[in-house]
Amino acid sequence: MGRDDYKGYRDPCLALMKRHGVRVWSEVIARTTGGTFEGLILPRSETADAQHIALKLSSGYNIGLRADTIVELVETGWREAVYRIPEKEFPRDPAKPRVKLFGTGGTIASRLDYRTGAVIPAFSPGELYGSVPELADICNLDTEKLFGVFSENMGPEQYIELAQAVGQAIRDGYDGIVIGHGTDTMHHTAAALSFMVRRPPVPIVMVGSQRSSDRPSSDAAQNLISAAWAAAHGEIAEVLVCMFGPTSDRYNLLHRGTRVRKMHSSYRSTFRTLGDVPLAMVERGAITPIKRDFARRRDDREVEIAAVFDERVTILYYYPNMQPDIIDALVERGYRGIVIAGTGLGHVNRKVYPALERAREAGVQCYMTLQTLWGYVQMYVYETGREILELGVVPLANMLPEVAYVKLGWALGMHPDDPDAVRALMTTSIAGEMTEREPHDGYLVFQGGVPELDALLRHLWK
Amino acid sequence: MGPSNALPPEAPRPPADLNPRTDPPLDFRDKPLAEMTPGDWDALGFMCGLEVHQQLRTRTKLFCRCPAGVYVDHHDAEVLRHMRPTLSELGEYDGCALMEFKTRKEIIYLLERETVCTYEMDDTPPFEIDREAVEIAYLVAAMFRLQLVPELHVMRKQYLDGSIPTGFQRTAMVGLSGEIPFRDPTLGIDRPLRIRQLSLEEDSCREVSDVGHRIVFRTDRLGMPLIETVTEPELVTPWEVRQAGRLLARVARATGRVRRGPGAARQDVNVSVAGGRRVEIKGVDNHRRLPQLVHTEAFRQLNLLRLRAEMQARGLTRDVFAIPTDGPAWEVSPLVIDATSALRRSVYEPVRRALEQDHTIVAVLLRGCAGLLSRPTQPGISFAHELQGRVRVIACLTGHPFMIHSDVADYGLAAARWRHLRSALRAGRDDAIVVLWGPARDVSTAAREVLARMAEALDGVPAETRQAFADGTNGFERILPGPDRMYPDTDTPPLAVPPELLPDPRALPEAPWERERRWIDAGLDPLVAARLAASDWADLFDALAPRRPETARRLAAALEKRVPYWRRRGALGRYELPAADRLAPLVAALDAGTLRPDAFEALADRAVLDPDADPAALAVPPEPAPEIATEISRAIRTVIELAPRRKRRDREALARWALGIAMRRLRGLADPRDVAARIAAGLAGEA
Repeated sequence: MGRDDYKGYRDPCLALMKRHGVRVWSEVIARTTGGTFEGLILPRSETADAQHIALKLSSGYNIGLRADTIVELVETGWREAVYRIPEKEFPRDPAKPRVKLFGTGGTIASRLDYRTGAVIPAFSPGELYGSVPELADICNLDTEKLFGVFSENMGPEQYIELAQAVGQAIRDGYDGIVIGHGTDTMHHTAAALSFMVRRPPVPIVMVGSQRSSDRPSSDAAQNLISAAWAAAHGEIAEVLVCMFGPTSDRYNLLHRGTRVRKMHSSYRSTFRTLGDVPLAMVERGAITPIKRDFARRRDDREVEIAAVFDERVTILYYYPNMQPDIIDALVERGYRGIVIAGTGLGHVNRKVYPALERAREAGVQCYMTLQTLWGYVQMYVYETGREILELGVVPLANMLPEVAYVKLGWALGMHPDDPDAVRALMTTSIAGEMTEREPHDGYLVFQGGVPELDALLRHLWK
Repeated sequence: MGPSNALPPEAPRPPADLNPRTDPPLDFRDKPLAEMTPGDWDALGFMCGLEVHQQLRTRTKLFCRCPAGVYVDHHDAEVLRHMRPTLSELGEYDGCALMEFKTRKEIIYLLERETVCTYEMDDTPPFEIDREAVEIAYLVAAMFRLQLVPELHVMRKQYLDGSIPTGFQRTAMVGLSGEIPFRDPTLGIDRPLRIRQLSLEEDSCREVSDVGHRIVFRTDRLGMPLIETVTEPELVTPWEVRQAGRLLARVARATGRVRRGPGAARQDVNVSVAGGRRVEIKGVDNHRRLPQLVHTEAFRQLNLLRLRAEMQARGLTRDVFAIPTDGPAWEVSPLVIDATSALRRSVYEPVRRALEQDHTIVAVLLRGCAGLLSRPTQPGISFAHELQGRVRVIACLTGHPFMIHSDVADYGLAAARWRHLRSALRAGRDDAIVVLWGPARDVSTAAREVLARMAEALDGVPAETRQAFADGTNGFERILPGPDRMYPDTDTPPLAVPPELLPDPRALPEAPWERERRWIDAGLDPLVAARLAASDWADLFDALAPRRPETARRLAAALEKRVPYWRRRGALGRYELPAADRLAPLVAALDAGTLRPDAFEALADRAVLDPDADPAALAVPPEPAPEIATEISRAIRTVIELAPRRKRRDREALARWALGIAMRRLRGLADPRDVAARIAAGLAGEA
């Protein structure tokens, strides 16, 4: 018997299964004090309790039987678990552009094994073709799995590896790059790539899904199809995030990697460009530009990969009555850069001033961004702001706090021994992370329930 | 679970939905429902099972905290979605999924702020399952004497028709294999009714419209908790089906915790006959409709089996209808031609309209099928209707009509045009032709679907979900989904059902059969008890709590007669009952022996019909009590005085008249038989 024979089971279930000579995937008749049940023993989820055995009934339903009610388990059969996934060969067409798809973890597409309920990830071109056949109409697809981590576990190590892989793919002559990514930290990675991959000649499109691809209502296929279009045929040679525009299945938006943010925990239309309008819409293969100023696709293969990152940076989310010891602790622990998400136009309370001063003396760089997310840091309007400036805190215009965090880590990595160069880099917009002007429709958080908006929503597919 | 957990594909299972008997009684003479005997149903091999959906009376929905049971007729926003089939590990779509994908529907959800939140829109994961719903589901399961599931696992059951925005219904098994007493003295039923399972699930959307490629749903009902109770397919006559449906409803209602009213309980019926296959008819909301519905379906299946026999006799095989899967149908198969230009000058109005809209017209050759399309399947409906149903749903054609065929002479087109189509298709006298029109892409799907349905006719009865119509007939809704469309909901952890949510087996609500038993013990005749149990005033009867057997019998009989009368008179609404306190004093007086039983109904009438009457006062005899002899002689005098003005003056008529007058005052004081005798004697004396 192998390790997986009791997959997920602990005592008392484990002992019970051993006593009755049954394992995971045994077909059993279970006699319990509450009646007799028949089904297939399923693996137990590691996070579920230890008191129940999970059974799949012939109707397809799962149930759990309590160990202390089980009188007898009789094995009537056993079905060996074998992994099998069919592949259809991805049709190649020399006339179509070549696209490289990088996997970072999570599933971009998947199949469902109804009998076990397992979601089988589809990733190779053949597997992907099986679940999203439309891809073959768009491009010739190659795939490469870089790592298998959840979005929240992506970090500098992965940013660097990903940037290098992107550089290699560009040099290999791909016409576009798609990166499958979990949505939670997609905008952090998008920012990192925006800084690390300098002047890419082709689109680099990040994509994910808010509803997993094993469900019929998933947004994954439309996202992937739109991303493939943008990568293969799009003109925008920047790091982009390609996700649902509205929650309806209508069109995707291409967001600039340094201005995009996940704004809802679960909505499909969670990604928004903040402080500006998105770059373009993608709908059934048509890419419609919204903004005109973007870096255009080039034929050359020249790209500079600046894959460095100093991890000793942090974001400090300011709150009223913040105590100076927080900042002192960061300085003591050896942090080299602090991005403050301040209130209003970029403020913190007087209490932390001495700590900010100590930070400056210790050579720790402090930058000001806004927890309002929209708008500019403006530290001259109020006395407070001017005082904070004098403490050496550098305002970062309308750079988003997370982007500032990523940029600071990267800038410190670029110039480990040159604080002035870091400051110069931080205060210069290099990938659209700070803009000179905010258009009036760069901020659109509508308020529900207002009659005029109700009237609009009635005529709009959300 | 990772890939290593996947199972190898099983050998194809024998279809569980085939009727166990494979010998269709093709020679059986069709009869109307009323003439069918139990022996006839046995000869047909009729088999039926019920799936009853019953909404639970909870404050909120099952997986979010939106209010349950609030229906609206307006909306403040719309969402557009599509459904994409997910592949099984064999890389194949299941039949149902494939069909829905072929339809390429745009699905519109209407949202109303007060009744739905982002959960129903599928933009927020589920919240914790509603405890109240779990508690009620376990209570009903215990009433059905099912084995209760100790740990609840929420599953996803795929539905691609759009009726649930996620593409699946969240459902959990609550109880398995139980049985309840199934007794109906009038039908001679006295056996257990086996219940296969009871699950707790979320309700679906309400369909607003379904035209062409667009289906619109209202979301207010979506997510309301309901239980699905499934019986074994052991109901063998339409009348048993109806009675079983009523019994299941009564058991659920006995808890007092399920919803009532239109749409709160809906049944799906699974029907098959010998040689046939399980067909599911969905959404029947009225038990009265069940018998005619299943009768029609039984004969539809028999007619399809007769058609199959005829096709076999003609030597037809599936190859006759085969067509390559890719490309416009008319380009890849000689069985289909583009007839658009051939019919360019047709004066047939629907074809003319199609041409104006730039639609494509195709003609499909059905070799050897002449006469088959006009064979009857249901009352007033021929086999062509089966083709139409498939085409409408799957190819989304919307014309009125969008199809004609050659089995009806000169249908729509002039004879010359039919001749032209025949020669273009090289069709002979034995062949049939179907003509379809619509947008090019849809009409290509339609042509394929016609051929596919003809090929399926060789199997007899296709596995379908059908919808019930008000006239007792039914129509195609979708392909019956396979059993393998269930997978665990990764958004909800298993729930070990805590003891406080489990019913106390010693304190269950009284079941309908226990109630009947109690009434019989209380003095009711078993037939009367059965009728009372089936009535909607059973609760009123119990609320009035008759103590003596005579009172119970009198009350049961009175309610059976008077409740429908009160409703007819408009004193009560169609489903309304009188308040118990209007009748309670009269029942108490019966029990106390202070009210004569024969007075009860008339006084009950006054208590219900006259809102100003004081029921307590009605129960007390008038003071001073009228003198019986005086009242009798006054009544006799009155009739004799007025007799000359009456048409009928024979003694019997006068006696009845006098009795009526006398009893108005004497009701409850004197035995009517005694009064009648004294009147008869009095009239004889006057003569």
